[in-house]
Amino acid sequence: MGRYIIQRFLWMFFVLFVISMITFAMMHAVPGGPFTQEKALPPEIIANLEKRYHLDEPYWKQYLLYIDKVMVPHISKDANPEMMDEALVGISLPGGNYLRWINFGPSYSSRSRTVNDIFREQLPVSIQLGIISMAVAITIGLPLGVISALKQNTIWDFLGMSVAIFGVSMPVVAMGPILIWIFGVTLKWLPPTGWGAKPPFTLFFIPNTIGSWDFWKHTLMPAFAVGTGYSAIIARLTRASLLQVIHEDYIRTARAKGLSERVVTTRHALRNALIPVVTILGPMFAGVLTGLFVVEQVFGIPGMGKYFITSITNRDYPVIMGAVLMYAFFLVVSNVFVDITYAWLDPRIRYD
Amino acid sequence: MYSKKWTVILGALMVVSMLLSACATPTPEEVIIEVTKIVEGETVVEQVVVTATPEPPAAEMRDNVLHVSFGPGDVPTLDPSLGTDTSSIQVVEEITVGLVRLHEETLAIEPGMAESWDLSDDGKTYTFHLREGIPWVRWNGSAVEEVLDADGNVRYVTAHDFEYGTKRTVNPETGSGYAYVLGMTMAGVEDYLYAENWDELSDEEKAELRDGVGVKALDDYTLEMTFLTEAAYNLNISGMWVARAEPQWLIEEKGDRWSEPGFNQGYGPYALKEWVHDSTMTIVANPFWPGIESVPQPVIKEVQFSMLDASAAFAEYEAGNMEVAGVPSADIDRVKADPTLSEELIIAPDGCAYYYGFNTEKAPVDNVHMRRALSYAVDRLDLVENVTKGGQEPAQWFCRPGMAGCPTMETHPDLGIKSSADKAKEELALYMEEMGYADVSEIPEVQLMHNTSEGHKQIAEAIAEMWHETLGIQPTVTNQEWKVYLKTIRSEDVPAVWRLGWCLDYPDANNFTREVFAKGGSGNPEVGGLNWLNEDFEQIVLDAAVEPDPVKRTQMYADAEQILVYEDAAVLPIYWYTMVNVTKPYVNRTYSNHGHDYYEKWSLELEK
Repeated sequence: MGRYIIQRFLWMFFVLFVISMITFAMMHAVPGGPFTQEKALPPEIIANLEKRYHLDEPYWKQYLLYIDKVMVPHISKDANPEMMDEALVGISLPGGNYLRWINFGPSYSSRSRTVNDIFREQLPVSIQLGIISMAVAITIGLPLGVISALKQNTIWDFLGMSVAIFGVSMPVVAMGPILIWIFGVTLKWLPPTGWGAKPPFTLFFIPNTIGSWDFWKHTLMPAFAVGTGYSAIIARLTRASLLQVIHEDYIRTARAKGLSERVVTTRHALRNALIPVVTILGPMFAGVLTGLFVVEQVFGIPGMGKYFITSITNRDYPVIMGAVLMYAFFLVVSNVFVDITYAWLDPRIRYD
Repeated sequence: MYSKKWTVILGALMVVSMLLSACATPTPEEVIIEVTKIVEGETVVEQVVVTATPEPPAAEMRDNVLHVSFGPGDVPTLDPSLGTDTSSIQVVEEITVGLVRLHEETLAIEPGMAESWDLSDDGKTYTFHLREGIPWVRWNGSAVEEVLDADGNVRYVTAHDFEYGTKRTVNPETGSGYAYVLGMTMAGVEDYLYAENWDELSDEEKAELRDGVGVKALDDYTLEMTFLTEAAYNLNISGMWVARAEPQWLIEEKGDRWSEPGFNQGYGPYALKEWVHDSTMTIVANPFWPGIESVPQPVIKEVQFSMLDASAAFAEYEAGNMEVAGVPSADIDRVKADPTLSEELIIAPDGCAYYYGFNTEKAPVDNVHMRRALSYAVDRLDLVENVTKGGQEPAQWFCRPGMAGCPTMETHPDLGIKSSADKAKEELALYMEEMGYADVSEIPEVQLMHNTSEGHKQIAEAIAEMWHETLGIQPTVTNQEWKVYLKTIRSEDVPAVWRLGWCLDYPDANNFTREVFAKGGSGNPEVGGLNWLNEDFEQIVLDAAVEPDPVKRTQMYADAEQILVYEDAAVLPIYWYTMVNVTKPYVNRTYSNHGHDYYEKWSLELEK
């Protein structure tokens, strides 16, 4: 298992490398640049700006410069971590040296910030919202699916699946404003928009306000709006998968040897039925943790999601690269977790 | 019978009240009042000692904090040299003050950091006399404090800071998006800003170019600015954010980071307190700002800007958490019908114009009659009332009325293009005759392109329908993503009709008619755009820039606009923007005509 995980992580570097190359090629292939504006700038000014960010260099050189900053650790005397060349990993070395590694570069549209700043301040908010939303999704979705499957074709099944269909067909863009209208504007129970935590965060993503009601009341509506949508997917998948498993021979065997119905469902049926559910949970987690554009927009949450969209419309190249690589990283890591969970759920699956 | 009862009750009340007054510590004030009673038919006046009713619990007070919305997305920068968007400039306007300031309602030029100024005989050089004793300030985490130098002395804003800031804007290495405004107007800037082979120049050569820039501190409080020509708008430009004092000591230490919270230093009526990126920004009243006639000391202690989507901001407003918000276009009808909200609604002019440009080299709009026909056929009133619905003003020309030098509907009611189906048909007939067409189906297809957006699409479709109905011409409407679109309309393949907007940088006709449509402007670039050059137009806008008499000057711009939208009909003006805002009734505010608000002139009624 250990070897397998190491192998996967080595693969990850290769995957990220390939993705970075494709993204780089694609974003430069799109017409328009970061300094194309409605108020046309004189070509000399654009030339100055491009020189400043090395955009006047040939593409291959720009790409190598980028890879060098992101992947290669640099040691230098200058140790001012507040400067724009700061890195995600910065370690003071003996002898007044300073090691920098993973520097995603500056943002062209927010000139006093770097991509690392965006990761440090916006990504944690998305992770917080993502974890809470997924908790909501699993808590609602899993029991709903199990009940519907076990009580197939009864009123419970019908009810559960109605809730699921409602969840699937009610997008956040509609549910969000309705929730805001009811609980934020009319009843005034919850703040309509905003987020109850701000940087700095403990251990990268834990809000310092986690113990306060102020944090949680900001999370309720968005987490519910996101969670119900995903819970519907989970519920339907759980139901379908469990129905299939329940008719397997080994379930009949388990019943035949006299196990109680509870043990049969939890230990044998559900555990096997979860494999497809876990498979979609991986990418779902990666997607939710790295930010959700619509819910952030509707609820005014300062997360990472909007950067996936605005960086492209702004042609903010370092932010595009950073966001894509970060998402790819989350995706690969969550798939490794999925693989590990497979082995735990089904002892027949082994990677060695 | 009844009266006796009352006497008893009153007596009892008196006893109780006296007892209470005896017990109460500290003793509330006793008041002697006269009570008129009717005892068995006779009126008796008694003197009663009662204690004053205890003060009602103090009325609930609001926080002296104003909450306004900025629209979604982070504020790009607080660096005066780099700001190009409304949000950035709004905050820069509050944490720094220009040499001169524009009154937000009258647009008159008022003293800012310069107490007074002299103009040289040739009209090109201004000598500004700066206010003394205005300190640089910063937020230290708990309060606004003065910035001290290495020796512990307070740093005051000097002419050297202005010289440094202005020269930093036009330094080619800064890469300022708005430096070109100074390039067009200030002496010596062009050679420096657009220097060729910059990288190959020696340090001495670079310094020489920098010294050539027409801004110079004569002493700590005297600043000289030299412009290329004598012009009415030079003073306006000296007050713009691109020519602010900047803290050299901080910028040299922190680089581009200097404007971030924690480092940021300013000297305006407000100071930057907090900036939660992508979420909120808070500015706090600067107690060291002395308060001058044009820029008083702030009354509102803090202003918090939220970076929210229009609907989210409006929900916050309705929930009572925000004092000022824009109204999303989907809610405008509801707000107008709501008895409370309609009282709080203000539709105010905004310094922007929305227009279509013609590629005057592309058939069929290479013919002036065709262009006029299309322009006349757009029913602008119908469009703003039924499509955009934001109270926009139908535009007969481009230059936004209200800006210095722009004609207004009062002075020039018949200027430009007045929507008219009849005239549209007349012009179409002239075109067909000239071209020898017998039927509209022979006319080459008109392409109309806009950048991808629901709002632009609705407008384009409405206009396409108007053309179809009035002229029988059915254009093909296409759209492109914003930056691809900008590239397209500035290339050889400009579509026949394209859309753009323009918002003011400084409230003067020069910024509209000339800077957009003179050759090389945003809407009329060297390649693409209108593909249009009219020598008369070029000459008029050049002369108008330096015309001192305001009435004559306005007439000159009117003449230029007449060429632009009627005689050559290179541009199809559509509407002038408005701001649709709601404001809580407890806010005493001003309405700005130049795009940013001066919150130091606002106040809140704090009692709930």
